[in-house]
Amino acid sequence: MGIVIAVISGKGGVGKTTATANLGLGIALNGKKCVMVDFDIGQRNLDMILGLENRVVYDMVQVMDGEASVKQALIKSKVSENLFFLAASQTKDKSVLDSKKVQKLVTELKEDFDFVILDAPAGIESGYEHTIEFADAAIIIVNPEVSSIRDADRAIGILDSKSFKVKNGEEVAKYLIINRIVADMVQSGEMLKSEDILEILDIKLLGKVPEDKGVIDASNQGKPVILDKKSIAGQAYARISARLCGQKVDMKDIEIDDANLFKKIVGIFK
Amino acid sequence: MFSFFKKKRSASVAKDRLTIAIMSDRDRTNSYPFMDEMKAEIIEVVKKYIGVKNIEIKKEIDGDLEALSIDVELDKKS
Repeated sequence: MGIVIAVISGKGGVGKTTATANLGLGIALNGKKCVMVDFDIGQRNLDMILGLENRVVYDMVQVMDGEASVKQALIKSKVSENLFFLAASQTKDKSVLDSKKVQKLVTELKEDFDFVILDAPAGIESGYEHTIEFADAAIIIVNPEVSSIRDADRAIGILDSKSFKVKNGEEVAKYLIINRIVADMVQSGEMLKSEDILEILDIKLLGKVPEDKGVIDASNQGKPVILDKKSIAGQAYARISARLCGQKVDMKDIEIDDANLFKKIVGIFK
Repeated sequence: MFSFFKKKRSASVAKDRLTIAIMSDRDRTNSYPFMDEMKAEIIEVVKKYIGVKNIEIKKEIDGDLEALSIDVELDKKS
């Protein structure tokens, strides 16, 4: 029996889908069977990030409605045989989701996969609620920026009240990924430090991902950035994926820019 | 030197503003602990007269005014 993880953010555009794609692939590359489901009905994007947009035949709503079987709708990754993907519906409106159907789909996937990763839509509407309802854990993606952090807190609040686990007296595990950290801005006090963000949101840290131009280059090509061994964001996702698979990986402090530190030291002697 | 200090402050300004904004968000949105129970009772009462599919209760705050909004979704069949 696998674990169901919802990837959420509240605010859109913080890198939620990119994170989902990279963590899913990272988990698969660690030898675990993983399936990703795009819950962003009407705004299908995970397929693009994964480079699988031409392979989508059936979507998750068709599976829920019994028009296609899970087996028919699952798309196998080009990169890892452990990784599968279920596309969001592009045509039907968001109200098509219903708790019982979501539960049935999630339960079925849990039986066959070690990790079931659900990519939540932005916002805190019903589509979001359905994504988190049957999740065992949630990964919250924020940028070190006020609106993202505030919206994340609202999303966490809804998670804490609407989750099936919480309603049954259990706890839903919550972890934070801080995305798009710019080291020299943190150092100069222009960007929130991760410890401040953790304090404000009162949550545990899963990992930090630095700002990296390679992320856009990777999504242009439909190849998640984790495949680029030289990319600093890719390396960060590799560390986070390993953590999710139970390995002990030190938190590399990406908030200290090595090159910048050197410049500063040199500066003292000038 | 001045710009250095100015920069140093913007992250801490962000922290202070966020702390306050989030505290007040949490206050405003936290529903009452008895909400689920109340919801179940309201459903029972309405059910006596008409079929109910779902009831949504929200605490809404507009300025000084606090209100409970109750949306009753009726069952089409009845």
